[in-house]
Amino acid sequence: MSYKFTVNGEGVDIDAAGVTPLLSVLREDLGLTAAKLGCGEGRCGACTVLLNDRPVAACVVPLEAVADGAVRTAESLASGDAPLTQVQEELLSAGGVQCGACTPGMMMTLTALTEQQGEWTEDSVRAALTGNICRCTGYHKIVDAAMRCVTAEGGSR
Amino acid sequence: MNAAVSVDGDAETTANGKVVGTTVPRADGDAKVRGIAMYGMDYTEPGALTVRVLRSSVPAARIVRLDTSKAASLPGVRAVATAADTPGTSGMLVVKDQSAFAREDVRYVGEPIAAVAADTPAQADAAVAAIELETRPLEPVFDLDEALAEGTRHIHPGWSDYEVAVEGHRGGNLAWEARVERGDVDAAFAEADYVVTDEYRTPRQHQTSIEPHAAVARYENGRYTVHTPTQFPFMVRDRVAEHLGVRPSQVRVVVTEIGGGFGGKLDAMLEPIACVLARKAGRPVRLVNSRTEEQTTCAPRENAIIRLRTAVSRDGTLLAQEAEALSDNGANSSGETVLCANVPALVLGSTYRIANVRYSSKVVYTNTAPTAAFRGVNGPYSVFAREMHLDHIAAEIGMDRRELRMKNLLRTGDTMINGQELDDACLDVAMDRLNEIAPWGERRSEDGRLRGIAVVPATWLTNPGPSAGAVRLSEDGSVVVTSGAVDIGTGALTGIRQIVADELGVPFDQVLIAHPDTDTAGFDNGAQGSRTTFGMGAAALDAATRVREQVLEAAAGMLEVSASDLELAEGHVAVRGVPDRRVSLAAVAGTAMWTTGPIGSTGKFAAPPVNFDAGCMTGALFTHMIGVSYHAHLAEVEVDPDTGKVTVTRYAVVQDVGRAINPGLIEGQVHGAVAQGLGYALYEDLRLRDGVVIDTGLESYRLPTALDIPPIETELLENPGNQGPLGIKGAAEPPIVPVAAVVACAVADAIGSPINSLPLTPFSVLAALRGRDSRDESSRSG
Repeated sequence: MSYKFTVNGEGVDIDAAGVTPLLSVLREDLGLTAAKLGCGEGRCGACTVLLNDRPVAACVVPLEAVADGAVRTAESLASGDAPLTQVQEELLSAGGVQCGACTPGMMMTLTALTEQQGEWTEDSVRAALTGNICRCTGYHKIVDAAMRCVTAEGGSR
Repeated sequence: MNAAVSVDGDAETTANGKVVGTTVPRADGDAKVRGIAMYGMDYTEPGALTVRVLRSSVPAARIVRLDTSKAASLPGVRAVATAADTPGTSGMLVVKDQSAFAREDVRYVGEPIAAVAADTPAQADAAVAAIELETRPLEPVFDLDEALAEGTRHIHPGWSDYEVAVEGHRGGNLAWEARVERGDVDAAFAEADYVVTDEYRTPRQHQTSIEPHAAVARYENGRYTVHTPTQFPFMVRDRVAEHLGVRPSQVRVVVTEIGGGFGGKLDAMLEPIACVLARKAGRPVRLVNSRTEEQTTCAPRENAIIRLRTAVSRDGTLLAQEAEALSDNGANSSGETVLCANVPALVLGSTYRIANVRYSSKVVYTNTAPTAAFRGVNGPYSVFAREMHLDHIAAEIGMDRRELRMKNLLRTGDTMINGQELDDACLDVAMDRLNEIAPWGERRSEDGRLRGIAVVPATWLTNPGPSAGAVRLSEDGSVVVTSGAVDIGTGALTGIRQIVADELGVPFDQVLIAHPDTDTAGFDNGAQGSRTTFGMGAAALDAATRVREQVLEAAAGMLEVSASDLELAEGHVAVRGVPDRRVSLAAVAGTAMWTTGPIGSTGKFAAPPVNFDAGCMTGALFTHMIGVSYHAHLAEVEVDPDTGKVTVTRYAVVQDVGRAINPGLIEGQVHGAVAQGLGYALYEDLRLRDGVVIDTGLESYRLPTALDIPPIETELLENPGNQGPLGIKGAAEPPIVPVAAVVACAVADAIGSPINSLPLTPFSVLAALRGRDSRDESSRSG
């Protein structure tokens, strides 16, 4: 089967079985390796990308479900040598990056969160992050970064 | 002792332009947030073949027939490897009892038996399925006590033929034993007012790095080159060579970005398999573990049993202690478990005064996947046992738990159980500071919720391994540091840049770190035991000091003044007091190039000798502590008596770091270590049934999430040591060590019943509550 969708704004046409995980198309066919294969069962969230602006675990999303959709990966945040987005800047300056393997997925969840309207509290931010496992940081600095992105004092861009 | 340092420091330099002591953002962060950092799991080479491994499905068997001919003839298959291709017998430094592929016997579920390199993953899978294997079952051994019992089958019948680095007490299923004996234990027990006895059991904890193990190998000009996300490139080099039966210089290890280590990536794992297939196939090969392979075969923290018996006087003096620690080695000594055999004894005897001890630490073979280092190695379970046992003692003699600890705490000038004097101990300071943060006292249970509190002091070490590094001044005035040190995410290399930047008076971003490569870098003992900023930092500082001398000498000629009148700052050498008379480091480098020769130097570090009583120990490979640091942790918990759910409501850490090079990065290490410790205390248990790992993925292996970690109040104490550079001590590993202990003690306080095993799942907490209730029943009826 052939599936048409966009990845980071560019149209792609992928000829593969409908059950093929989106993650393997991104990593192996398109060379986009920011999203990581951490667990392969949708638990760790290292493969999180945005599908039609919602965070999904690309390792368990079949191509069939992506057809005609819009996919965004971490590579799209500051493409090329463009300045970092607020999510990227805050994560770095808060110390929310250690080994960095969870970071691309974490950033996509945080990006979705900053794009959604609503009153975010620390608890609701933490709840939103439960699909992203970080083994290094203990989460606090990631949550600090997130709060700076979603609250007024963080100065949203 | 300096004042506590703030962990809220921002990225600014200090008033004198120095960056040591400031929270410089990590130097490798930009690539990580752009998603372009190249991890081992992302790396490949043109034409790389896919490798798949045939792994044992049974825990113990004799290989009767292994035929790979059909597999080798399948389409796309370029090479097949078995034990016949890896002649060496290897092991992590001490006992050489491991082959890269199973030879005569299979010893654990998941053990590699053969591997295939093929053009596509599907072809490699098909070839693995076509390998013909016949085995005859052997009696498996799983239980630690049973393994050591008379008459149990020996997992390694040829154990006495294995090469060992040093001789030690071992035999049969006892892979190694370390003993410590001091004082007159029997006499002390004879005069004790109380004798308290306990047994503690702890599970396997898996490192579960987000990135699995991966290796990409090629073979050219008679040498192997392997790209791998390893914590310890020189260890991988040596172990690959040993397995393949070649010299270490025939192996080159290049380190990729590392997506989490925590001890799990210290040793060779996939690299020997990838290297042999690359040679046989004449093509690069790529091997990446699945999550199931990670969880089932990659070397978790060992499960253990600790038995303690302590003689106590009525006033709470610890008179004598006996201990037996059984640590599960798994099927071979490919991890650090044997090397660390004496760590439980050091942990038991490094925080409180105990004059008379008899400790035995046994590392035991079982038919399970080998165990290895995980942050804190044997520390978390040894401290858990030590502290729960102290609470039992406190209850027996009717003494306040904190008072018992303060009474017996080691203080400056006291000696640990190995006879090593602690000339900078500050456990009492850390405990007192904790008491100011969260005053000691009963936490009242209300709203039906049970509340508890505990404080735990702990002493910990820095890995003493050696380092070599090179620092050179580039012609543009920037500085390049070349070393085998790797950054597994801790930011240790950022700390080294800070140290070198200050020594040479260059801006932080003008210090670059060359990519770790065993062909070009000097030896480094690996990213383990918080040693990188300590050991490699010392080597880099040593090299930078020599570079500084060369710079001053060259600049003195250029400025026509004495070198002693010069100072380095802002990338320039200036005459002291005459800031206008200065030359840039680029000019100095350019001038030196054609006069004295290019500016650069190597530097090195070896841990200084320490006085201790070697005579009290046998079989101990870890005999003493270097870069000793002191800690105190506090936990407050709530327990739901209906569900058994534990909630940690408050957590505080006071930690001696010697000198804080980068307070923000250290705080990040404290947070991460405490989170992993909470996982060990509350959730993580890599379960095995009949030698088969049940928790093959993250569906059932429960890791802490963003909702599980309480606020962690962190205070760093600067109590400079005299063994590392600038007074620093290892900082990243120690904060995991007391966590399970302090949480378990707080839960025991809340539920009024002891905790003798981990993790504290709702089921185990309910069982402990029921045990308390049934004891209450029997005391009422009696």
